[in-house]
Amino acid sequence: MREAVRVKLLHHTDVGALKGALEREGVPFDPKALLDHVVYMFEIEDCSRVTTHQLVRHRVASYDQESQRFSSASREGFVSPPSIASNQAALKVYDDALKVVYEAFEKMTSLGVPKEDARYVLPNAIKTKLVMTVNARSLMHIVWQRTALQAQWEIRQVVGEMFRLAKEATPELWTAVVEG
Amino acid sequence: MKATLVWSVPKPEKVIAVAMRRCYSTKPIEEIEAELEQKGPEYWKYLMTRALQDKSLDVIEHFVFSVVVDGMPESEAGRLALGFPYVKFLRLGEGRWLVSMNARTLVEIWRGQAFRGLAEAVVAEFDRRDVCPIFNSLVFGERGRAG
Repeated sequence: MREAVRVKLLHHTDVGALKGALEREGVPFDPKALLDHVVYMFEIEDCSRVTTHQLVRHRVASYDQESQRFSSASREGFVSPPSIASNQAALKVYDDALKVVYEAFEKMTSLGVPKEDARYVLPNAIKTKLVMTVNARSLMHIVWQRTALQAQWEIRQVVGEMFRLAKEATPELWTAVVEG
Repeated sequence: MKATLVWSVPKPEKVIAVAMRRCYSTKPIEEIEAELEQKGPEYWKYLMTRALQDKSLDVIEHFVFSVVVDGMPESEAGRLALGFPYVKFLRLGEGRWLVSMNARTLVEIWRGQAFRGLAEAVVAEFDRRDVCPIFNSLVFGERGRAG
């Protein structure tokens, strides 16, 4: 199974509430001044651990990720990069390698090796899920770095979708920031 | 010092429980959320208790909020910003600030004593608004029960 990564916005700061608080104080609404105060909580599903290793390098954010110590790997749970998926010969090599790895994982767990140790054989291609909470300033930095053309295809997809959802949820913030 | 809630993540205790279940479950988020809604606050309390016992405070970082703080001098805000870089400030007027942070930072401020007045004001406001009664009771105990 090779379905795409899924990003969902679970919660976000009510910018209208912040705006109201500023108005009550007689402070003009400046979206750029609120970048540290507006926060988004995302769920990211079915991206590879390659991408989450890249994502968690952005430290001004909070992450909780599906643990391989407790959850099992599944035979279908691997991401295939387009450069491999579109090359039949390379895809066969890739699938054969993943099959060997997955069978080794299964065999070790059936021999009583705990998942936390058997997982050492699992590849970066394995799919994962995580929740991430990040403020708008940090998100802006992540978008700037990870949607650049030199960034890898998968994190570009993930961060591009996060940015789309953030803009859709809080347009009053991003319109000013992007246009300003 | 006085804190007035501007915004908090909805159902913060459920949000913490979602983050915790995310670590141990392969299910899609909708299923985790539905399961937590169905099991209710007693189960959220059970999960939070385990997280606190294991010192897994990362899960409470998803409980985020903004308050207007009144009565915090500029010098104190400056020291707080140096000691707790994840606290975010916007100056609103003399001694008045928009302050945003997550609950882990709140707990660290509470335990650190130096800025206990701010933490107590926030916890009292949470109590007053009934934002997170289970969390307040588990983390701050009876000392968090202000007015």
